[in-house]
Amino acid sequence: MVNKMNVLNVNEGQTTSVQEPEPKMKAKKVNVYYGNNHALKDIDLNINPNEVTALIGPSGCGKSTFLRCLNRMNDTIESCRVEGTILLDNQNINDKKIDVVQLRARIGMVFQKPNPFPKSIYDNIAYGPRIHGIANNRGDLDEIVHSSLKKAGLWKEVHDRLDASGTSLSGGQQQRLCIARTIAIEPEVILMDEPCSALDPIATAIIEELIEDLKSRYAIVIVTHSMQQAARISQKTAFFHLGKLMEHGDTATIFTNPTHEKTKDYITGRYG
Amino acid sequence: MTDIPENDVPLARVDWNSPEQSARLKKRYRTEKIFKSLAVLSLATAIAALMVVMVSIFTTGISGFTETRIELDVTLDANVVGDIANMSRPELETHIASINVNNILVRSLQAKFPDVTKRADVFALLRLFSVGAQSDIRKVILDDPTLVGQTVPISLLAGSDVDMLMKGNISREVEQADRKITDQQLAWVDQFNEEGKVEQGINWTFFTSGDSREPELAGIWSATVGSFLTLLVTFLISFPVGVGSAIYLEEFAPKNRFTDLIEININNLAAVPSIIFGLLGLAIFINFIELPRSAPLVGGLTLALMTLPTIIITARAAIKAVPPSIKEAAIGLGASHMQTVFHHVLPLSMPGILTGSIIGMAQALGETAPLLMIGMVAFIVDTPGGILEASTALPVQVYLWADSPERGFLEKTSAAIMVLLAFLIIMNGLAIWLRQKFEKKW
Repeated sequence: MVNKMNVLNVNEGQTTSVQEPEPKMKAKKVNVYYGNNHALKDIDLNINPNEVTALIGPSGCGKSTFLRCLNRMNDTIESCRVEGTILLDNQNINDKKIDVVQLRARIGMVFQKPNPFPKSIYDNIAYGPRIHGIANNRGDLDEIVHSSLKKAGLWKEVHDRLDASGTSLSGGQQQRLCIARTIAIEPEVILMDEPCSALDPIATAIIEELIEDLKSRYAIVIVTHSMQQAARISQKTAFFHLGKLMEHGDTATIFTNPTHEKTKDYITGRYG
Repeated sequence: MTDIPENDVPLARVDWNSPEQSARLKKRYRTEKIFKSLAVLSLATAIAALMVVMVSIFTTGISGFTETRIELDVTLDANVVGDIANMSRPELETHIASINVNNILVRSLQAKFPDVTKRADVFALLRLFSVGAQSDIRKVILDDPTLVGQTVPISLLAGSDVDMLMKGNISREVEQADRKITDQQLAWVDQFNEEGKVEQGINWTFFTSGDSREPELAGIWSATVGSFLTLLVTFLISFPVGVGSAIYLEEFAPKNRFTDLIEININNLAAVPSIIFGLLGLAIFINFIELPRSAPLVGGLTLALMTLPTIIITARAAIKAVPPSIKEAAIGLGASHMQTVFHHVLPLSMPGILTGSIIGMAQALGETAPLLMIGMVAFIVDTPGGILEASTALPVQVYLWADSPERGFLEKTSAAIMVLLAFLIIMNGLAIWLRQKFEKKW
């Protein structure tokens, strides 16, 4: 048991802070239904700023559904019904008064499959700032594109072909382009839905490094199927099982000393 | 389970080299071969049928693009033409339109054939030429008024019967009573022919004039303009309405029984016989709204109704084909539903939408039945100047000519079909080109 934990290479030093910061997002009693299917049951979870929160669990456990609740992406699914409270800076995002378009600008999302627009690299990144009126002139826009690509670690590779189509890049580059596109509108929280599952190990390593960098500026929530990845990059881990949040807490604690039997089984690979 | 020893389990259940297997293999190859040859056969049948139609239209129609002219020494008698020396151009035009060109022609013919004196024979001689020959003479005078008083060789448009004779569509073997041309006329034509005065040329009239009672003067220009105006109205109505409906149904409409019902009805409408749309147009646009009969506006509106289902169905398919990941990307960036549709979904589906619309337009271009119902089948010579003027359309022109008894209209019919086919090929080619040019790959 203990041997296996060592393999997971838990980054313990960063997770043992005593003082918990004020959470960026708080989910309280969140229930989600797809038609008659009760997909998420009474989820309570806090998401801290400047931390990576990993959502883990077997397929179909509801972790992606929960992630999509956080920026109300589930609104686009007709049969989906969300109950409960999700606070962003103490404001309920499920409130009718909240403008969902602005909310999604504040909470960015990176998807499982890289999905750049079939436009130029420049236009991919400039799209968000344009529709939100963040940049008023070409100079500002150039600056945003430049800095976003730099932050996403893509500048060196594409600076001489910003006019090339975003779809002409490799899979890993496309995913970094999507991250650059997301941070171009300066969100407060970034949601990542298995961002590395379609990528090779080298591209995955680059993205993980990038997440490590981005952590200093944003609250990051990442859904992942890779235990190693969760252990490597996250400070908090939440384990979902059959629509329930079984256990959550510091990554180090979850991986070394899980309280729940199911969690233990899952992270050791005996189940799921 | 446990009492079966492990080494009793056969390693391979099938002996791939057994005669049964090779027979099975042979059978499979045979079936594949038969299927392949059947497929080739059906394709060959389709191509052969198409070729028969094309060849038949082409062989009949190609002569519709040529005309026969007979050169005659015409004496431009100053007494008949009158004093035109000091006339201004507009005055000249009105004057020349009023002079008795028939007289000039008859005298010139009598000069060539002095022995033809009987009134009936003169008429028979005159009938070798088209009424269009008078225009030829008028044009010569107008172009160079100084020729008046002289005798000049003028190439005159031959009548349809002579034209048919020269193109071999009237047989000399047939009894005179069953022939459109008398033996006497035959002799005259032969005389012209021997003198090398009969010639074939490109029939520009066919492309520049409207319908006529005389086959040799009939053209497709006014029908083409009518078709163009009709299609313009059709496109302006059906494209925005169709694309708008498709966007709403695909992106915004709630999925419930009512929208299901709408979808079924749209699919049904696409299969409704076009003449029903004609009746609808007649009842609504002409009888109820009282728009002018035979007008491209009414034809366009009626065809728009007919084209709408096609455009809606193809546009919906094109919109549906846009990957959801692109929509999610836009929504995830904080684009509103509307921005997502107009910035991403619509541009990506536009090639498909345009292709569908052009194919719908091509269908509308070839549509005849609804236009018959709303009166675009009238005999209209003038080129329509606007969407409210009476006009006809290309397929209706084909229908009208196909209905005419004169032999000369047969080749005109085929020639008009060729022009119509050319337009259809151009439109469908445009659709393919658009699709290949703007199709994005990811």
